[in-house]
Amino acid sequence: MSLIEFRGVTFVHQNGVTALSDITTSFDKGERVGIVGENGAGKTTLVKHINGLLKPTSGTVTVNGTNTRDVSTAHLARSVGIAFQNPDHQLFSDSVENEITFALRNFGFEESVIKKRLDWALGFFGLEEYRKSSPLVLSGGEKKRLTLASILAWDPEVVVLDEPTVGQDAIQKEKLAEIVRMLHSAGKTIIIVSHDVEFLWTLQPRLVVMKQGRIVGDGPCAKIMHDWPLMESARVTQPQLVQLYDELQRRPEGPFLDVSAARSWIGRRSE
Amino acid sequence: MYWLAGGFLFRRVISPFHRLDPRIKLIVAAEFFALSLAASSIIAISTVLVSILAIAVLARSLRRIGRTMALSLLFAGLIFGLNLVFGLGLLKSLTYALRFLAIISSTSLFFVTTSPDELEQIMKWIRIPRDIVFAFVTAVRFIPVVMLDTFQIMDAQKSRGLELERGNLITRVRNMVPILIPLVVNSVVRSGELAEAMESRGYGSTPHPSSLYRMKLKWYDWTVFFASLLLFAGALYIYHFFHFPF
Amino acid sequence: MRAALEASRDHVIRLTTLLRIEDLSFRYIDAERWALDHIDLSIEQGTITVLAGQSGCGKSTLLRCINGLIPHMYPGDYRGRVTLDGAPVDKTGMGELAQKVGLLFQNPENQIFMFSVERDIAFGPENLGLPREEIRGRVDEVMRLLGIVPLALRAPHELSDGQKQRVALAGVIAMRPKLIILDEPTSLLDPKTASELVGLVHRLNRELGITFVIVEHRLELLTPIADRLVVMHRGLKVMDGTPAEVLTNPLALGYGIAVPPVSMLYVDLLKDGLSLGRVPAEPRELAEEVNQL
Repeated sequence: MSLIEFRGVTFVHQNGVTALSDITTSFDKGERVGIVGENGAGKTTLVKHINGLLKPTSGTVTVNGTNTRDVSTAHLARSVGIAFQNPDHQLFSDSVENEITFALRNFGFEESVIKKRLDWALGFFGLEEYRKSSPLVLSGGEKKRLTLASILAWDPEVVVLDEPTVGQDAIQKEKLAEIVRMLHSAGKTIIIVSHDVEFLWTLQPRLVVMKQGRIVGDGPCAKIMHDWPLMESARVTQPQLVQLYDELQRRPEGPFLDVSAARSWIGRRSE
Repeated sequence: MYWLAGGFLFRRVISPFHRLDPRIKLIVAAEFFALSLAASSIIAISTVLVSILAIAVLARSLRRIGRTMALSLLFAGLIFGLNLVFGLGLLKSLTYALRFLAIISSTSLFFVTTSPDELEQIMKWIRIPRDIVFAFVTAVRFIPVVMLDTFQIMDAQKSRGLELERGNLITRVRNMVPILIPLVVNSVVRSGELAEAMESRGYGSTPHPSSLYRMKLKWYDWTVFFASLLLFAGALYIYHFFHFPF
Repeated sequence: MRAALEASRDHVIRLTTLLRIEDLSFRYIDAERWALDHIDLSIEQGTITVLAGQSGCGKSTLLRCINGLIPHMYPGDYRGRVTLDGAPVDKTGMGELAQKVGLLFQNPENQIFMFSVERDIAFGPENLGLPREEIRGRVDEVMRLLGIVPLALRAPHELSDGQKQRVALAGVIAMRPKLIILDEPTSLLDPKTASELVGLVHRLNRELGITFVIVEHRLELLTPIADRLVVMHRGLKVMDGTPAEVLTNPLALGYGIAVPPVSMLYVDLLKDGLSLGRVPAEPRELAEEVNQL
């Protein structure tokens, strides 16, 4: 029994548009998953079903065995934390510490636990110096870290990141990748919705490809990303190293996982 | 809520009525409005209502106007009941209730058939200052955007354990704070970005900006204008001088 | 004789330099830190320049100094000179500047004010008080140019992100500026739509000779079309050259910019003693070079 299961899930909007069509898939505990597809393919709609923000029009979604139709979002949020793309849709408190403890209070944690988790979150995300500051005066990158901090503060089993790299510079992206790896080794299930194929390539997750509300591809990152017809039809670009591999007329070992792999291969070939 | 708003939102439709100059549409709606107030008998007010519905058919917006009427039935019923209670008699109470429906639907007729662009031109025509007109236009333009923002904010906060559907009145109001603050902040930030974009495209660089669209009265506008004026005057005369049985 | 030759050469240089920034420093009101620190930059007509750097390095501030928002809308401590197409930016009105430079902001949503696409494109020319026929002409021309004629009467909330981006760009082009600045135009777009936008920019540059300055993090999208790459760091201009020069310079990574993998690979191969014919702007070029080794 997987942690998260989708069985025949179809979702139709109020205006009649079908956003998800017969989705059947599952995510296991401790998995690292990337979801790709063009804008409007249904990626965000899919993840909103995991914490019950959306309930399927037909089919079922279960989290830890519980049908999402039977419980409220607030209940599911306890185990599924979603960090949405725009921090300005979330930040509202008068101080960074209140922002981080908001969810903890909603979930009814004890004061002593709240204090411990707050201190951890501030430290882990490098926000200690802003403890008493207003979230609204932070820079874009700091706001993103604060959003993540306020979600990880309550230690959900599943962490969903919706387009986490938008507007981030190279250094911020590296830090983000590090955080993802750390969370993964701590046993968390991580689901990342992203356009940023280069970012996903460095993480090598299981990759789910969506197109027009359906799942059209599902497998290891390296295998899926170098399936050019699939990527092309889903309108997803391939990372540069994959393109390079294709251009070099394919070697049997498969695509280059990083720059140094490409370097050594080219070095050997030129001898 | 969404359904209610539908009765006053403009929908792009091709119809003989839509094609009229917005000023004529305004006049026609205003004439209906005035007739609703002048009609003091059931027959009279019923003819007004039927006429409004007839124009709604001409404007291919019967469903929308009908929806507005249906929704106002509750309030109309209230008016009927109150008047009855205060001893105005069955017929009179019914007349007042119908009058209410006619007023609401004549207003709805105008807004459903007039695009925000046309509204803007009417405002400029009656010499409302450009900045105010622009503020109105922008506000209406961003209504769908703000609505979308609200839903996204609600999603984000619900995902942090915020319960919006439970609790007594006080709790529910308090739970609106995490929704309202981001909304307000986003609106303020948005105005800043709008101001930058406006400046960057030369807003305010001349005291007399020109306009892509302009209102021009065509032959059918004049025809409708005079025809409606005649009917209006005629109806007024009849309502005033003819004594209806009820 | 020598002086005359130099003077005429300077004259020629001045003719092709569209934007000249001389020793520009700027500090917002009540700010301690200088957002821009003695910036010198010249942009030639017809070029595509990419401006990169970490968040907070001053890119956005620099853009606003170019189009006049600084100092007209954002006063502060302003030192130095910015000359655009011969006009000093701090002393020229926004209306006149808007016809020389257009600025496309990151979020297209907040740049579309009107209810219909064509009405919004007309916004700039209306502000200039142009005659109606001229406005109509410009709107039609620009819609044809960007392939958005079918969207003419649509409302903005009915458009996709990519379409909104084009409409916002159309509104800017309707002012017929010589220079267009784009502030992180692809950040909200998916990669396919982003590369379509880049293709559009390239076409506008080639066919109409419009000069572009683009602020961008996703360098791999732009290296194939950029003539120049300028890197900023903490208000200073720290690197300036062709993309090939800058991206293969080991300092680039230190300034926190996203060096594309193929550029990193080129440098690593060079360290291994493998010299490729040219610096690759994209994977295909690198593969071609490797296949020739």
